[in-house]
Amino acid sequence: MHIYITGASTTKFGELWAISPRRLAGEAVGGALKDAGVGIRRVDALFVGNMLSGMLGGQEHLGAFFAEELGITAPAFKIEGACASGGLALHNAVNSVLSGQYDTVVVLGVEKMTDHKPEDVAVSLMGAGSEEERVSGVTFPGLYAILARAHMREYGTTREQLAAVAVKNHYHASLNPNAQFHTTVTIEQVVRSPRIADPLRLLDCSPISDGASCVVVTNKKSNHGIIIAASAVATDTLGLAQRKSLTELAATKEAAKKAYVQAKIEPKDIDVAEVHDCFTIAEILAMEDLGFFPKGKAAGAIAAGETRLDSRSARLARLGASGHLVVNPSGGLKGCGHPVGATGVKQIVELVDQLRGRAGARQIKGAKIGLAHNVGGSGATAVVHILKK
Amino acid sequence: MNSPVKIWRNQKYIATMLGREGNIVSWTVIRVPPAGFSNLAPYPVVIVDLVGGERITAQLVDPPAVEAGWTEKLIGMRVRVVVRRIREPTTEGIIPYGIKVKPV
Repeated sequence: MHIYITGASTTKFGELWAISPRRLAGEAVGGALKDAGVGIRRVDALFVGNMLSGMLGGQEHLGAFFAEELGITAPAFKIEGACASGGLALHNAVNSVLSGQYDTVVVLGVEKMTDHKPEDVAVSLMGAGSEEERVSGVTFPGLYAILARAHMREYGTTREQLAAVAVKNHYHASLNPNAQFHTTVTIEQVVRSPRIADPLRLLDCSPISDGASCVVVTNKKSNHGIIIAASAVATDTLGLAQRKSLTELAATKEAAKKAYVQAKIEPKDIDVAEVHDCFTIAEILAMEDLGFFPKGKAAGAIAAGETRLDSRSARLARLGASGHLVVNPSGGLKGCGHPVGATGVKQIVELVDQLRGRAGARQIKGAKIGLAHNVGGSGATAVVHILKK
Repeated sequence: MNSPVKIWRNQKYIATMLGREGNIVSWTVIRVPPAGFSNLAPYPVVIVDLVGGERITAQLVDPPAVEAGWTEKLIGMRVRVVVRRIREPTTEGIIPYGIKVKPV
């Protein structure tokens, strides 16, 4: 049995002070159902990906909360896995359809972060880490800074190579009307931006954002249905210090391995990838751990523009050559914004838009296979989906 | 976050860790701290390989005199586990104590 995504939609990401979570969700779900040509009454279940509604907003029970907003009484669930909540919600939705329990389900990723003070958001996000980490006073930028430091030491990764990830993703975001940032940045601007957690600076970090994204998952084929060829999850220790290595995310490697087997493809077959670049170092780790580059080789390749839209390899691909890969055409978490529960679903919306050839100025011509990589915490949860045209 | 009973439970763990030594394997300096840590920032947070095999994340206190390039000396630095106040007390009035590390 094939599982399809027949509808996909996202709100704009950003500082959306005037828009409530209810309205964000309504807009995303309405857009996805319209795209799928499905009425709300045909929805058998609702899966909501969200992390912080309880800690920041005092609202839990999000399944019922958003079901009420949508005017349905179908079974509804909140799935929480830190910043991987959206990807995990999709995984659970896919499993529910595969099991035969439901035929058509809606996956909503949603987060409202900018109502709250940054230092309170930082504390809430540390809910994704371990008690030992919270006691140390470390933040998420700090945890990824520790990974960056280890990677620089082991592989000679440079400060400028980290910055190149932000430069690329801001450029991609400048082509995405739904992105939080439409300004391009230079290497110089990144390496001179304010220090957050050494060696990471402000422009190495994804922003605090509001937004919602939605996809419709079904076992019913439609004219523009995109096939979910793989849906895989892996888990590692909550705390960074308890891992074997500080220069890789083992959960990413494990989830990717399972996904490639499910989809019967190899990394080189992927045309477009949306990966979890919560910090610049995270995209470098993802490129290596997903198998796109050997360990220690991704940073140089990204800095050389190999994964950028309109790069030489992408131009070659348009002429029929293979072996190209464009990474984070949406702008990624860095440029498009990172409403944490929405991110994993937004990645899927971007892939659907790319595979259906409706990604506008950032369209990758002829894209047929896409990969989404969503991480929770500093790598305790990793979700990999592979979509096929 | 900090109930008396939670602190009482944690004391047993803290007691097993005090005085243990190890070497720093990676580090950062937190310049934008979470709520409760603003009076400490900027402060280093380090990963330590303890003698005996465990690895912990901890704040580094009493770092060597802050001079140009002092962070270059962090990797490999020998540190010892100590007990310190962790963050600013909350409205509950409990002063939270826990583990940090200091240079030997």
